[in-house]
Amino acid sequence: MTDLLTAVSIMFIITGPFLLVANRFELPTVPFFVLAGVIVGFFVDPELTLELAQYGIALLVFSFGVDIELSTVRTVLVDSELAAFGQILVVGSLGFGLGLLLGVPPGESIYLGAAAALSSTIVGAALLQREFDTNLVRGRLARSIHFVQDLLAILFVLVLSAATLAVDSVATVVGYGVGLLVAALIVNRYLFDVVGEFAGDSDELMILAVVALLALFVGAAEFAGISIVVGAFAAGLAVRHDPVEYLGLFNGLESIKDFFVAIFFVTIGALVVLPFVELGWTESVEKLLLAGGLVLLTAVVKPAVTTAILISQGYEARTATLTSLNTDQVSEFALIIAIEALLLGLLSQSVFDAIILAAAVTMATSSLSQRYDEQIYRTLADHGLLGSRHEKIDEWSDVPADLSDHVVIVGYGRQGQTLVETCEHLDHPYVVIENDPARRDAVADCDAFVFGDAMERYTWEKANAEDARIVVSTVKSEFVSRRILSFGFDTDLTLRSGDRESALELLDEGALYVSHSDLLAGQQLAKQIRALVDGELTPAELRERQQAELEDRADRLPHIFH
Amino acid sequence: MVSEVALTIDLAIIVFSATLAGFVAKQTGQPTIIAYIVAGIVIGPAALGLVEVSELTELLSELGLAFLLFLLGIKMRLEEIQYILSPIVKISIPQMTAVFLAGAGISLALGFTPLESLLIGLAVMYSSTAVVVKMLTDKDEATSLHGKIDVGVLLVQDIVVVIILAVLAAGRPDDVAEVATTLGVVLVLVALVTVAAVAASQTVLPLVFRRIADNKEVFFLVALSWAFLFVFVSDNVNLFLAPLGIEAYLSIEMGAFLAGLAIAQLPYSKELQDRVNPLTDLFVMVFFVSVALDLGTDQLLFYAQEAVIAALVLMPVKFLVFFYLIDWQGFGTETTFLGSINMMQVSEFGIIVAAVAFEGGFIDAEVLGFMTLLAIFTMSVSVYFIEFNHQLFERFEPTLSRWTGDGSFEGGKREYRDHAVVIGYDEVTRNALPILADRYEDVVVVDRTVDHIETLEEEGYDAIYGDFRNATIRKDAAIKKAAFALSSSVQPEVNKALLREVSEDTVVFVEAERIEHATELYDRGAHCVVMPPYFAADRLADYLRAYLEEEAPFEEAIDDDVELLESPEPFPEPADRLGGDLDD
Repeated sequence: MTDLLTAVSIMFIITGPFLLVANRFELPTVPFFVLAGVIVGFFVDPELTLELAQYGIALLVFSFGVDIELSTVRTVLVDSELAAFGQILVVGSLGFGLGLLLGVPPGESIYLGAAAALSSTIVGAALLQREFDTNLVRGRLARSIHFVQDLLAILFVLVLSAATLAVDSVATVVGYGVGLLVAALIVNRYLFDVVGEFAGDSDELMILAVVALLALFVGAAEFAGISIVVGAFAAGLAVRHDPVEYLGLFNGLESIKDFFVAIFFVTIGALVVLPFVELGWTESVEKLLLAGGLVLLTAVVKPAVTTAILISQGYEARTATLTSLNTDQVSEFALIIAIEALLLGLLSQSVFDAIILAAAVTMATSSLSQRYDEQIYRTLADHGLLGSRHEKIDEWSDVPADLSDHVVIVGYGRQGQTLVETCEHLDHPYVVIENDPARRDAVADCDAFVFGDAMERYTWEKANAEDARIVVSTVKSEFVSRRILSFGFDTDLTLRSGDRESALELLDEGALYVSHSDLLAGQQLAKQIRALVDGELTPAELRERQQAELEDRADRLPHIFH
Repeated sequence: MVSEVALTIDLAIIVFSATLAGFVAKQTGQPTIIAYIVAGIVIGPAALGLVEVSELTELLSELGLAFLLFLLGIKMRLEEIQYILSPIVKISIPQMTAVFLAGAGISLALGFTPLESLLIGLAVMYSSTAVVVKMLTDKDEATSLHGKIDVGVLLVQDIVVVIILAVLAAGRPDDVAEVATTLGVVLVLVALVTVAAVAASQTVLPLVFRRIADNKEVFFLVALSWAFLFVFVSDNVNLFLAPLGIEAYLSIEMGAFLAGLAIAQLPYSKELQDRVNPLTDLFVMVFFVSVALDLGTDQLLFYAQEAVIAALVLMPVKFLVFFYLIDWQGFGTETTFLGSINMMQVSEFGIIVAAVAFEGGFIDAEVLGFMTLLAIFTMSVSVYFIEFNHQLFERFEPTLSRWTGDGSFEGGKREYRDHAVVIGYDEVTRNALPILADRYEDVVVVDRTVDHIETLEEEGYDAIYGDFRNATIRKDAAIKKAAFALSSSVQPEVNKALLREVSEDTVVFVEAERIEHATELYDRGAHCVVMPPYFAADRLADYLRAYLEEEAPFEEAIDDDVELLESPEPFPEPADRLGGDLDD
């Protein structure tokens, strides 16, 4: 058995219990890998696993490339979500300034800037899963901010590898980078399916081919003198594909990725020289100061700046705040950038350590701020820190002054839209409450609407809810439902819920009706299956009928609600 | 301070050449193992000399063997192998003795010295775990009866090889007593580790894995952590025992196998197989490529003729020995034939035994070369026999059955056919289950939540824990033979994969969130696409209309819905009022 196997064994043995803790408290795994790594550092020389860690980096970036949806890139670039750029610029400069202030040379302060500005997609996405699922505005917004940051990080790495060379070769390096990307797109378009055909039904060969492709791109990048990150990213683009035909491939790649990425994060932790334990007092204090500053920038200043930018972009305060709170951690890309710079000798050990420590701390605190985000927002709002929001609501809303006996419809999604149709059909007055900027134009076509947050009392005053006949909320979020209940309107109230338990609770607390889509759909499903089983309907008839219904529905609804 | 680390090009060359060779093999119908070995010979010092053994390749090939055995362990449910434990021991001990005698005999005849012949005899006794297990896994026969016999015998051989390595590593043994002591210590250690693994699978593991089973990443990595714990302990067991003055070794393969065995007893093992498989494939590939990386042409080919002769003698001998012994234990003709033909190669352990003997000064480099060539040659040839074992059996069955006794030892797995498969247990599908259970003999539910699996099993449904995206899970649910399939996943790729695999006659219900997904699913042959948000929207609109027009049925309808919400049973009998009175 080699030393390397011993090293890898120890890494995994120590990491296991840390993961159990992370899972127990529903925290993101990345900081726990790093923490485990710190312990591993006492037993294992991290130099041993550096090469394996590099494969971890390659696979991490690779899978980012694989998951990119080019259509997303386009929407993000035209959307107001370009806000991400502004935030990176501001926070990045602050990080750079912090470095200079604490006596870090400019060349190294750049990395502090990068660490402060970029936020972690892995952590952010893990924490936001619920918001993605329920299609909330802030889920989408946070996702695109992370996405823009990741792209910038790769660009940064490309420039970083150029920065070590003379100025005139920067163009060459960027040229190589672009060349790799072009090669990737060619592979993706022409070669990939051919390989897939040759591999036939063998997942083993397909996985091997993709790993070979990754090795080839990484090798080409190394040969051209640019970072392997760029090569891995290009390889990811080359493999990007509809997962349906290659389920085995993409599942397999995930296992391989999980294995090597774990080694990468643990190695990062093992590289940290612990303050006080392994270092003298002065050095330790310096390092902690640097790390502390970085934590402050990332966990406090960055969300503040992002909130300000988003509010100025027209998002209302709650969405802006909650979205920003999802970006309050250091990115795994910052870790990659740091380790690359460390290996190239561009970064001193103490700055590297500060970045890693700040990353571990902020990734852990980020899940706390996520857990208490509503409370944080409320505290800020109650202290008037988010500015007055009423003018915006007034400006964007349109409610007839004498509106009464109307239906208040919360949310203008698929359900809200259908409800509006019903009201218009019956010629009954209604008002829509919506807060997604992407839907502002659509909402503006309604007879009456309030463009504001349903969590805010003012929105409801504006909608004249006290005089309404019924309030119908189509928002699945339990938070929103409870808030609406807490206003204590005299009108009838129907809510929506994603699970049975909370639906029952909401009923107990006074809702007239709680709609639970899955339950209703389950009934419909059972009915159809029974019809089939009893022979009332042949499968072909059912298919025909269902398809006709779908076409009818598609004709009725405007495209954005598909 | 850290020095700059460039990724070594070696691994890239290995992966790339193995891929090329693999594709050629695939196109020409050869097994991939051969492709990997050939790739290794081509890029190794024997031919192009592009790649040498490095620490990284060594790590990956060690991991390959360890993961292969871990994977194998995950597939072994104790209650399924207990009953063949005794025949396995009765087969393996005489088998090794007989093959040892044959190996030593043929070596003497070929002109090797008595000591060399003795060591060659010791080295050829084992069959190749890597080849047999890999081929069995690829052919999905690892848990068939002959597969279990082979694997069992391989593990017994593994124990013996560990003992022999321990003895060789200690230098020339002084007397028989020393050998006996080593033997005793190793057996005690194996027993201890087995007890620890089995005890853990009864106590700690169910608790731990139940908590983490719903988190894909943590689940996988903690399982690996568990495997590495056993690998580490097995490998460093001599360090732990050193203070006691005992010298002993365990193989990492043995440790990995036992770690897997402990997990296999949990209900979550299926899911893990699919997660570990890709890593294993990758690492085992590196193992096979690096088999030939160690030796130069001179050493490899010095005894080329002798190696071929020895191979041609040993393979039939091994086959006959196994055939006689397995038949003697009362297994059926087919099991006997398949179990024997799989095992006729010389193991990679043969090379390791020879390498250790070479380092200990017992033999020359040329004898090591002979062993390597013998192993590579027999492995390569046997791969074809394993690949076509069923065809061979059909060919020779009439002749064979004259020589074999009546098989009293057969077991078969029940297969699903014309059953219903339900993917995901949730509010949408739970109403459908009782209806399906009435109509179909078997209803199989695939789900990734532990709670759901437990609920389903309590209610008597067949539940499979795992992700439908995994091939093993799809195979276990026998989706291809299903008469009815219902998926409550809203992920288009899962549903498209389902529609791709089902037969033309299968009735398929799937779920979708968006209209364009639904359209696509119909295009791909779905019979019904359930769209909960749209359906709920229509329902809500109906209710609103009724409410505003103050119709009486409104109250009734919402009371019915509320009653349904309150019904706590996991499998409600759907009432006839389904659909409500308001739809018309």
